[in-house]
Amino acid sequence: MDAVRLDEVSKAFGPMHAVNGLSLTIRQGEILGFLGTNGAGKTTTIKMMLGFFRPDAGSLSVLGGDPCEPATRKKIGYMPETAYYYPYLNVRELLSLYGGLCGMSKPEIREASERLIERVGLADAGSRLLRHYSKGMLQRAGIAQALLHDPDLLILDEPFTGLDPLARIQFRDLILELRQRGKTVFFSSHELSEAELICDRVAILKQGSLVWCGAVSDVAGDGQQNLERIFLKMLGGADEKSARQSLASDSEVKS
Amino acid sequence: MSVRVRQIQALARLAVLELYRRKDLIVVFVLSAVVLLPLALLTPFGVAGAGRYMNEMALLLVWLFSLVIGLGVSARLFPPEFESRTIYPMLAKPVARGTILVGKYLGALAASVSALTVFYLAYGFMVGARQGVWFPAVFVQAFILHIGFLVVVTALGLAGSLLLTPSANLTMCGLSVIGMLFFGQRLPSLAAAQPLPGRMVLTLIHWFGPHVEFFDLRQRVVHEWPAIGWGVCGVVLVYAAGYAAVCLAVASLAFRNKRF
Repeated sequence: MDAVRLDEVSKAFGPMHAVNGLSLTIRQGEILGFLGTNGAGKTTTIKMMLGFFRPDAGSLSVLGGDPCEPATRKKIGYMPETAYYYPYLNVRELLSLYGGLCGMSKPEIREASERLIERVGLADAGSRLLRHYSKGMLQRAGIAQALLHDPDLLILDEPFTGLDPLARIQFRDLILELRQRGKTVFFSSHELSEAELICDRVAILKQGSLVWCGAVSDVAGDGQQNLERIFLKMLGGADEKSARQSLASDSEVKS
Repeated sequence: MSVRVRQIQALARLAVLELYRRKDLIVVFVLSAVVLLPLALLTPFGVAGAGRYMNEMALLLVWLFSLVIGLGVSARLFPPEFESRTIYPMLAKPVARGTILVGKYLGALAASVSALTVFYLAYGFMVGARQGVWFPAVFVQAFILHIGFLVVVTALGLAGSLLLTPSANLTMCGLSVIGMLFFGQRLPSLAAAQPLPGRMVLTLIHWFGPHVEFFDLRQRVVHEWPAIGWGVCGVVLVYAAGYAAVCLAVASLAFRNKRF
């Protein structure tokens, strides 16, 4: 079963078409990077996948269900792009809040919180209020809340923003570890190098439409930042047609 | 414990924690102590009977502070969530929007009632120490009906926070509550004395406005009049629950249709 299936999904806000006939599948247990420039429709797609609103056209299923239903969202972990959390709580209270919202019992929350606080490296700052956290620390708290209820699908919106190099490595390791445990990871990013390092597949979005989707292993490996090259060609315009043709043979191409 | 109860509990706890950590409430507590303590100790103009005047002042302040806290907490439940985008991870959790609304409302109510309890205890001890009358039945009724007042005010503030901008919400709710508190009883006679457009407006306000004056037993407490019937008390509380339910239904509609 596919973890996520989007079929000709469209969403418009007034005259602006944020997502335009997007078809994409995310296989279970894979890491898929969702790339695109600002305003390409990445966050709108993520919001539809989380059930914040329904698409205007097309169909969308997440883990075989409707994300607007709480039962489906129970299997989804989400980390937002801007990791601002309640400034008057500490990370334990934050996780207790989100654990409660997931319907977890107090012992379950306590056990999962302590494990995750340790895992994301916030053990020393566990009792400090979040308003005293740096951006990187808030990102760590964000990933901890996303993983709290052990979801099958993890949706991360710009997860590497604000992380220092060490935290990036730890975060990358964590994502790879999640894949090893059979979890599906979907993340939007501007960080092409990170996507190239950890993704199984990458999808590139332009003006709400999918312009390229393929395996990273097909394009990487010659040390010349091939993903960046593809990204620029797909979004650049001038050479777009020929780039698509040359890549069509080894990758899934949609426009 | 059911999942929904856990969710509501978590949300309510958030509202209470935020209120106390934000320290706004501490300021109100200190302010009330500064005002109430001298009232407890003073015998104005050397006249023992003038203590009633002091009690009236103190109760008016308790009402004012409770309105500020009730409205302040409820009006701030959602706008900061939208502004700082903390609403996204919350909506991404397996929780229905209706549950979020109810949890936040109960949290705001719990926080406001906890502050109200402190005010009433302070007032009760102040009057008891001066007059030797400790927590009479009418005082208990005044406290219970004041909770009913907060039931209405927090629901009104919450609904307004989803329909209006924060400043417009505070202004509208504050004006309507204070207006009804002082003129609510007189609205029918005021309406009768007006020409048609004015009469219609006042009649509409009379029917749809929050009749917070129903909850006001200040005069009875100050003048040590007998307690009202508990049945009347119950009817007024049913009115509070009904009014709050309507406000929450409106808020629920607005929250369901809100685009994030």
